[in-house]
Amino acid sequence: MLATLLRWLRPFVFPAILIGAFELYTRRVAAYSDTLAPPSAAVRAFVDALFQGDILSATGFTLMSAGIGLALAFVAGAGLGIVLGLSPRAARMSFFSIEVFRPIPSVALIPLAMLVFGFGVSMEVSVVAFATFWPILILTQAAARQVEPILLEVSQALQLSYFQQVWKITLPSMLPRLFVALRQGVAIALVVAVTVEIVANPHGMGYAIMIAQQSMEPALMLAWLFWIGIVGYVVNELALLLQRCMAQRMGGRP
Amino acid sequence: MPILSFNDVTIHLGGREILSPTRFEVEKGEFISIIGPSGCGKTTLLRAAAGFVTPSGGSVSRQGKVITGPSREVAFVFQDYGRALLPWRTVEGNISLALEAAGVPAGQRAARISKVLETVGLAAHAGKFPTQLSGGMQQRVQIARCLAQEPELLMMDEPFGALDAMTRESLQDELLRLVREQGLTVLFVTHDLEEAIYLGDRVIALRSNPTPQQPSLAAVIDVTIPHPRDQLSTKEHPDFLRLRRDLYHYLGHD
Repeated sequence: MLATLLRWLRPFVFPAILIGAFELYTRRVAAYSDTLAPPSAAVRAFVDALFQGDILSATGFTLMSAGIGLALAFVAGAGLGIVLGLSPRAARMSFFSIEVFRPIPSVALIPLAMLVFGFGVSMEVSVVAFATFWPILILTQAAARQVEPILLEVSQALQLSYFQQVWKITLPSMLPRLFVALRQGVAIALVVAVTVEIVANPHGMGYAIMIAQQSMEPALMLAWLFWIGIVGYVVNELALLLQRCMAQRMGGRP
Repeated sequence: MPILSFNDVTIHLGGREILSPTRFEVEKGEFISIIGPSGCGKTTLLRAAAGFVTPSGGSVSRQGKVITGPSREVAFVFQDYGRALLPWRTVEGNISLALEAAGVPAGQRAARISKVLETVGLAAHAGKFPTQLSGGMQQRVQIARCLAQEPELLMMDEPFGALDAMTRESLQDELLRLVREQGLTVLFVTHDLEEAIYLGDRVIALRSNPTPQQPSLAAVIDVTIPHPRDQLSTKEHPDFLRLRRDLYHYLGHD
């Protein structure tokens, strides 16, 4: 009983020591710092912000923008990826265009997005969608080409029509990899959304952490940093869980 | 008219002659075993008979008509059962694929699936996924899917090669029973000499690296051991022992 409890606590030992050391440092050595605050003060600032509703509304904005952007990118990227994966001719024709647009750093599009959409949800969504579209497109395209060759021969032997083969064999066998693409998209979407808010868009968690920093509230800034970390962790874990369920349902070995 | 005839078939793959001119005929209801050392082209020969490979010279004809591609009349059992089944479909679903391909109306499928599952002894496992079954059972599912196709010809590419000795023997006996019940014609590739003699009505021995003096087709030998065959008495039969001795050196032993 005690042994299980200790084993369960083991991964938390190192972070606890770090936080304790930081607390001690900010209380003793840097007690009058304008740029650092002890973790205990950050917790207090977090609770205040939570009760004022700032946390919820900012988190909601960031998650919503990231979610809409990712959804658009997934529909377009997976759709186009399937077409390009199934048709080598279409893939050859679009190869050059993709390789020209893909390397553009997504944050370099922020000025353009601001000009076109102004501040708000649309500009953030557009940058997130651009950033997540490419990896989803590339992974989907690869997935469509990596169907088990023996299954394609089974399809040939059974004389499935082209559409039957796509619908009954290619698409289902792609599904686990589509969810891998989605999970990668989730990680990118959150990073890009927060970046857009820090750089330009006056909404969401990224903007909140910027404001805390600029108004010399290190406790609140640390609180936001901690919270953004937690949100990122939870969202990624959920995506990973979804990906694993799908892999298992579609025939991954348990 | 023979159900299958190889008319001086040659096959080149990657610039190498895999099969030198080969001529033989298969009568309806025959069980033909094909043996030879690895790399002698026995699988290639089988794939040509199934229409997966087009001969470089000569032709394969089925009931007098030259084969140009796969047909639903020819079922193919792959050695790698784990990859030949759709992991996202249950046993029932996998067998249903053959019926869907043949355009059997949805209402008639269930009855035909349960009939074919009964024949291979899988009735109790209809709702399981392939990964929940043992190797022997997975191979039974693949055989069941081929039977559901209601083919004239059954091509089997080392179907029992990956199974343990006990499972292999029981599947051999089951296969012989099925073939007799359904009047199937079988081409069975194996590198197991005893399996070839035990199952076959005729054994075709191939040799690797053919030359004009030593063509691919090394020997065609009739197996006159009476049916029904039995794992003990057949394998002690004087003819069995004689054939085993005669064929031994075709497998690359000197």
